[in-house]
Amino acid sequence: MVSYSMPFVLLSALAINFVLLANGLSGTPYRLVFLSTAFPIGFSIGRAIYLKWSHIQIEFDSMSFSIIKGSKEIANGPWRSYKNVSIILDRYGRPNLRLYKSVGGEYVDLPISKTNAKPQEFRDFVHRLLSTQRSARIIPQVVEAA
Amino acid sequence: MPEDPRPIDAFELGLIRGRARWIGDLTEFFRDYRIGDTTFALYAKGRTRNSGFLISRFFSWTVLPNYAIALFCVDEGEGSLGIETLRNRVDVVTRISKDEDLQWAWLILFSRKNIQPSIVSFVSRYDKRELGLAVASTTVKQIVLSNNQIGKSIEKHLRLSRALGEEKSGKTD
Repeated sequence: MVSYSMPFVLLSALAINFVLLANGLSGTPYRLVFLSTAFPIGFSIGRAIYLKWSHIQIEFDSMSFSIIKGSKEIANGPWRSYKNVSIILDRYGRPNLRLYKSVGGEYVDLPISKTNAKPQEFRDFVHRLLSTQRSARIIPQVVEAA
Repeated sequence: MPEDPRPIDAFELGLIRGRARWIGDLTEFFRDYRIGDTTFALYAKGRTRNSGFLISRFFSWTVLPNYAIALFCVDEGEGSLGIETLRNRVDVVTRISKDEDLQWAWLILFSRKNIQPSIVSFVSRYDKRELGLAVASTTVKQIVLSNNQIGKSIEKHLRLSRALGEEKSGKTD
């Protein structure tokens, strides 16, 4: 979020400085007080943009999950659609989760490195969920004879 | 007070943090991965060319070959590890290496029992260059490595002894 905010902090500081110069207040001792407001203004704008475009949220329960990036849902589905889970490192070495629909087949990446989830613990949790769903699928249903 | 992680968890965490980077770039980690009749407690896939940033990336793209590699760990638990089991594990990994076209692979077996002298003898004399072999006892913290470059790298680069909670390795080459 800091990287989103810093350009706006700088732009706010420049704008405030122009306003101070235009009103002849650049020599007053309050100049620093006015300029310091650039930080809350810049951080607010940066935070709003980050939340709108880049904030990653993973919502899940024992049945399904959804990944929300900014204000858009980019992936969702029931756990039972997936057979396997792994930890995958991205090009910067950050650990994410990869859900496979079949062995070596189609997959979905869960960008957990952008959340505060611990990769091993979360992977084990998902692994247990997938195993439970798999074993639930293969339990034969009891059929009562008429 | 937090509980000490299992050796295999600690070992995996080290690999996720890039402990293998000097010898290969392991990028994907599976747990309880079943291939045929064997369930690998940890299965990691990667390549010899690491990703890096700027200079290291340029260096790896221009100098390093891009071979596929893998690491297999089996947790034997309380069960006794015999020569026959070990041979089977080696055969399975050798077969997977051929199927997946791996340049080399590591096979590490964790056991809670003492390592038998016959296992020590087998592993320390194992010298096929495409498979690095190690057997580790998690209770007595003993590690046996195969007598090849890939086997020696299990301690030198992957630091298996650290995962067992040892400051200094009690390894037997």
